[in-house]
Amino acid sequence: MNVLGELALWTALPVALWGAVLAFVAGARQRGDLQLSAERSIYAVFFLTVLASLGIIDAFLNDRFEYLYVASYSNRSLDTFYKVAGLWSGQRGSLLFWLLFLMLFSSIAVWSNRRQNREFMPYVVGVLASIASFFLIILLFADVNPYAKLGFTPADGQGLNPQLQNYWMTIHPPTLYLGFTAFTIPFAFAIAALLSGRLDSRWIALTRRWTLLSWFFLANGIVFGMRWAYEELGWGGWWFWDPVENASLLPWLSATALLHSIQIQENRGMLKVWNMSLVILTFLLTIFATFLTRSGLIESVHSFAQELRIAYIFLGFMSAIIGVGVVLILWRLPKLRSENQIESFLSREAAFLFNNLMLLAVLFAVWWGTMLPLFSEGFGGEKITVGPPFFNAVNIPFGLVLLALTGIGPVIAWRRASKQNLKKNFTLPVAVGVAVLAALWLAGARHGAALATFGIAAFVMTVIVVEFFKGTRARVRIEQERWPFAFLHLVARNRRRWGGYIVHAGVVIMFAGFAGNAFKAEIRQTLDPGETAEMPSPLGHSYTLTYEGLSTTLAGAAPVRNVRWQVEALLRVEKEGRPAGTLTTARRALIAQEDMPTTEVAMRSSFLEDLYVILSDVPDLRGALANDPNAQTVTFTFMVNPLVGWIWYGGMIIALGGLIGLWPDGVATRARTPVRAPARAGGPVLAGAD
Amino acid sequence: MTVIAGAVLLVAAVVFFLLHPILSGRHASLHRERDEPTEAESRRRVTLLALRDVEYDYATGKLGEEDYQALKRELAAEALVALTDAEGESSASRQDVPWLEREIVRLRGGLAAGTTCAACGSANEPGSRFCAYCGIPLDTPGSGSAPDGSAPRPEPA
Repeated sequence: MNVLGELALWTALPVALWGAVLAFVAGARQRGDLQLSAERSIYAVFFLTVLASLGIIDAFLNDRFEYLYVASYSNRSLDTFYKVAGLWSGQRGSLLFWLLFLMLFSSIAVWSNRRQNREFMPYVVGVLASIASFFLIILLFADVNPYAKLGFTPADGQGLNPQLQNYWMTIHPPTLYLGFTAFTIPFAFAIAALLSGRLDSRWIALTRRWTLLSWFFLANGIVFGMRWAYEELGWGGWWFWDPVENASLLPWLSATALLHSIQIQENRGMLKVWNMSLVILTFLLTIFATFLTRSGLIESVHSFAQELRIAYIFLGFMSAIIGVGVVLILWRLPKLRSENQIESFLSREAAFLFNNLMLLAVLFAVWWGTMLPLFSEGFGGEKITVGPPFFNAVNIPFGLVLLALTGIGPVIAWRRASKQNLKKNFTLPVAVGVAVLAALWLAGARHGAALATFGIAAFVMTVIVVEFFKGTRARVRIEQERWPFAFLHLVARNRRRWGGYIVHAGVVIMFAGFAGNAFKAEIRQTLDPGETAEMPSPLGHSYTLTYEGLSTTLAGAAPVRNVRWQVEALLRVEKEGRPAGTLTTARRALIAQEDMPTTEVAMRSSFLEDLYVILSDVPDLRGALANDPNAQTVTFTFMVNPLVGWIWYGGMIIALGGLIGLWPDGVATRARTPVRAPARAGGPVLAGAD
Repeated sequence: MTVIAGAVLLVAAVVFFLLHPILSGRHASLHRERDEPTEAESRRRVTLLALRDVEYDYATGKLGEEDYQALKRELAAEALVALTDAEGESSASRQDVPWLEREIVRLRGGLAAGTTCAACGSANEPGSRFCAYCGIPLDTPGSGSAPDGSAPRPEPA
């Protein structure tokens, strides 16, 4: 299996190159036979990549430590769960994993367009096969081949980083990778539109769902990452503006901008160059994210020297994307002229444009903050690092403006909005926003940015609720439907609009969750068994926590779940004097990673706040592990995180809205099918649907 | 031995799969299928969607009466131009499809009479109040109350 997998990887490169060359020739010479062969190369590379990936998983499952990659990220007693996840545990495997998803999506795109949109397909296939070739060249020639051998077989592997031994490991990275790779399809169609010269809104209609799919996976992947950080890293936060986190945020920001600005092109025939540039930028950022996190550049600037080759190949590829994009756009500039102009600054297109500028401002700030250490060391010699204070100072104001726009955009009409109508539509939401602000002020909240967030959030939420109410009421009146049915039909009839509003509602709730962080409370206390700690909540009540004692686990002959040793503290919780259950928090070390003990936090989550307990220190660890009664003293960090749950609720609502927008709506794509639409209901889901 | 046989088999299968179309002369289409929208038809669809949004904005009180009428006139004119272009394209390329001509005449008549649905583009029988395909109210003369009951019903464009 391993040999076959390695062979498959080597075979995939000539096949991908064949496809890339043939597809472009097929497009230029209009040769259908070459095109069919090129399309088959996409399926073939997908098949070969599946074989290569199965070979790696097989090597992990069978503890084939003669492979460098397996030896670096696995050990004998590692859970099967994480052995399968070994495919994306490290740089080498995750590049293959990237290619696997890329080829999956490429195959779906080629298959679903085998009988439609044929004029685009030679170039689409050409672009997809070129990108596949790029990743194969990296895998095979940049010292990152997952099949590279050590030359000897170690008795056991070095094990997986303990922080990765968490169930989110099997969920978060694949979701992000799905998001990164799905965006290749809109990029391929955009380049195909430029090359074929068919530059009406057709390519946008064809790829809107792919863009949304990519956005959906990125959004979920980012939220999953936040949840993982919150559960596992044990510092009570969920976002640290870490370069790897930022890298996943960048393409999401530009994809969000794109999802808004393509509506202007579809509705008004404007911003064609802008949209084209955003597609290229977003794709570039998905590659950049992979580059940043998987080239070794990010852990340390000094690893740059060791990873020189892969960094240069990536930089060359990214330059090629920019170069090709710019040249093609300039070449097609006459066909990309705007059909309209913005008529008024009080219009939805103006609001969308402003939203785009804000998103790009955030994008640039995040990018700059992420790259500054690299730039400063490269140019000045001294490494300058910026942390959360920089990112928060820059992004909170932009974020609040964006949040406000979420409420303004939907209420402003396309083309021109009259002040009178604005007044009519904004009076209630603004009043609610101000009322919430006043109520919080009276309740004693004094944190400026948080208050502004809550006020704007209330304003936006009112706008959304009123929109749903008005739309539903219109259906109740016209269709004489009952309210619940009218509501469901309203959403079902225009999933794009209402799905978008549901996403907005999720964003609002998430922002409120972020703002809750401003009121976070934390104390650190050392306790002996039987002693208690008082933890006041910012919401007024307080918790009493009694430390009951430690229990320990030491690995015997047959280790359970890869654990070498574990110390677990039990706490009894009372809320306002009433029993509120128990909590356990632990420190543990995993086999092969004994020098990196991790903390397992304890959480008591409720709608308004989380009680979050960390076993920060066990001063006499050796004694505790020997169950010495005099070695039971431990230090806890107690936290109350207000509204943190709202981040996860918001994330779920965003996912729901995204799914509604993605759901096939059965509106036919072919020109004359409206006449016989019922026969085609439930047509193609992705490319080809709009 | 098994490994070598498997490897040879794999490579041979891939090569055959790729070369088969070229050797056997099978080919993939490189042209727009005849039932797919042309540029003009896409434009028409986009205009109809824009019309739907204008209707919605008006019904929910985001557009004033005057702007609404002006925008509707503009968009209806754009839709007609797109339809004429589409007709030009089809008569140039698909003279062998007479039903298409009838379809265009019907759609065009429907746009003028308000029986073409602004939401899904379907043609409806004259006098219909609601679209038979998607259920959205149509803009026929004398059809019922305005969507939210408060605004007066506009004249058809």
